Amino acid sequence: MRFFESEEELQEKLRDFITAHKSRLGLVSLEAPLISNLPVWSNIALIRQYHQNMSWHEAKITIDRLLHRMGMDSIAEKRNPSLTKEERFYAMLLRAAMVRDAVVVLDKPFSILTNLRDGHFLMHILHKVDDLIAEAHIFDYSWAKERYGVTADAED
Amino acid sequence: MIRVTHLMIIRTLSPPFPTVCESIMISAIEQIGRVTLRTSSSVGSTLSFAARVFLRMFERRSYNSASRMVLINQIYFTSVQILPLFLFVAVIFGAMVNGMVFQLIKKIGQTDYLGRLLMGFVVMEISPFVTVLLIALRSSSAINAEIAVMKVNRELSTLEIFNIDLIDYLFVPRVLNGILSMVFLSSLFSLVVLSIGLFVSSVIFGTSVDAYIDTLLRSASLLDMIIVWFKCAAFGFFITLIPIILGMNASQELTSIPVAVLNGMVKVFSAIIIIEVLSSIVRFI
Repeated sequence: MRFFESEEELQEKLRDFITAHKSRLGLVSLEAPLISNLPVWSNIALIRQYHQNMSWHEAKITIDRLLHRMGMDSIAEKRNPSLTKEERFYAMLLRAAMVRDAVVVLDKPFSILTNLRDGHFLMHILHKVDDLIAEAHIFDYSWAKERYGVTADAED
Repeated sequence: MIRVTHLMIIRTLSPPFPTVCESIMISAIEQIGRVTLRTSSSVGSTLSFAARVFLRMFERRSYNSASRMVLINQIYFTSVQILPLFLFVAVIFGAMVNGMVFQLIKKIGQTDYLGRLLMGFVVMEISPFVTVLLIALRSSSAINAEIAVMKVNRELSTLEIFNIDLIDYLFVPRVLNGILSMVFLSSLFSLVVLSIGLFVSSVIFGTSVDAYIDTLLRSASLLDMIIVWFKCAAFGFFITLIPIILGMNASQELTSIPVAVLNGMVKVFSAIIIIEVLSSIVRFI
């Protein structure tokens, strides 16, 4: 976890991080919304279809299996505007996890999941995709530390 | 600097002007210069982008599973969904054009020109023109709005974040679909109109199927067919590429979407006219 005092500092560090991990980056952020003219499963499958040339059929089976694992079978054919905040977050996280050796970055996750009181849900959901990602990093404001259960001043 | 130069030229070439007249003329010249520079820069950047997309169409990596899926969807939206309307227009237009052509031929008694008139007028001119108008009205505007909305919603930058090349994933499938759909739909339009021609000709002149086809084949030249295919491909290429470019020019504001679509459609129609004129020049030279 990385916490920052100001928006400018956070954006600057995030930009540097994105540049450094460009090839393996899986960004979960309001700045990287789902593609609105694609259903959820296509949004997630797109990464493997494009980078690994995975066939449509194989991609559909893979994504259906993943959504089932997350208990999100019902969102496969939904589009971005009709998703709830949790569903949208699941979709964005799974899309990020589709990158090979993914370095997943959660950029201010509470700005996506505005109804969450603390980070338990986040940790729970990250554990569910643990086998799919290589690293996970959370970027947020320092005043949000408590929501993650972090009390020390130091980063991470 | 330019202002001073214009002033100097005017002062050197002409007798002394009254000050107001001079400044009006200078600003008019400046305006012409500005418009010329803007237009040439816009045409230059469009052609350079067109060259990039065109070259990418021949690269194998442009046809990954994701791009192929976009291509299939685009062909469905452009060529399949439009079929009922397209066939209706083709039948109405075919009946009208054939009625006029056959009445004219009958009146002036020049039945030898029937094939040439149908091939030269219907296949070479009318079919591509009506087809490009229908596709431009339906698909170009949709592509323009779609790309502009994606730009405003930051979906284009999302694709870039995930290392998805916009040309490979978004543009090549749309442009390729434009070319394929134009060639396919224009050929279909010609086929429908010529089939109606067969019906009308058998009713008015009592012509047999063999004689009718023979007349058409004798009037068709390979060069003309190559020109019409090139023309259709050029139409398809530019009526999809221009909306993409204009859609990309949208800003981050929602209000920029209608402006992008409006500008895009004006440029699409300009491109249609330019291609039509160029193809006519090539054909008649």
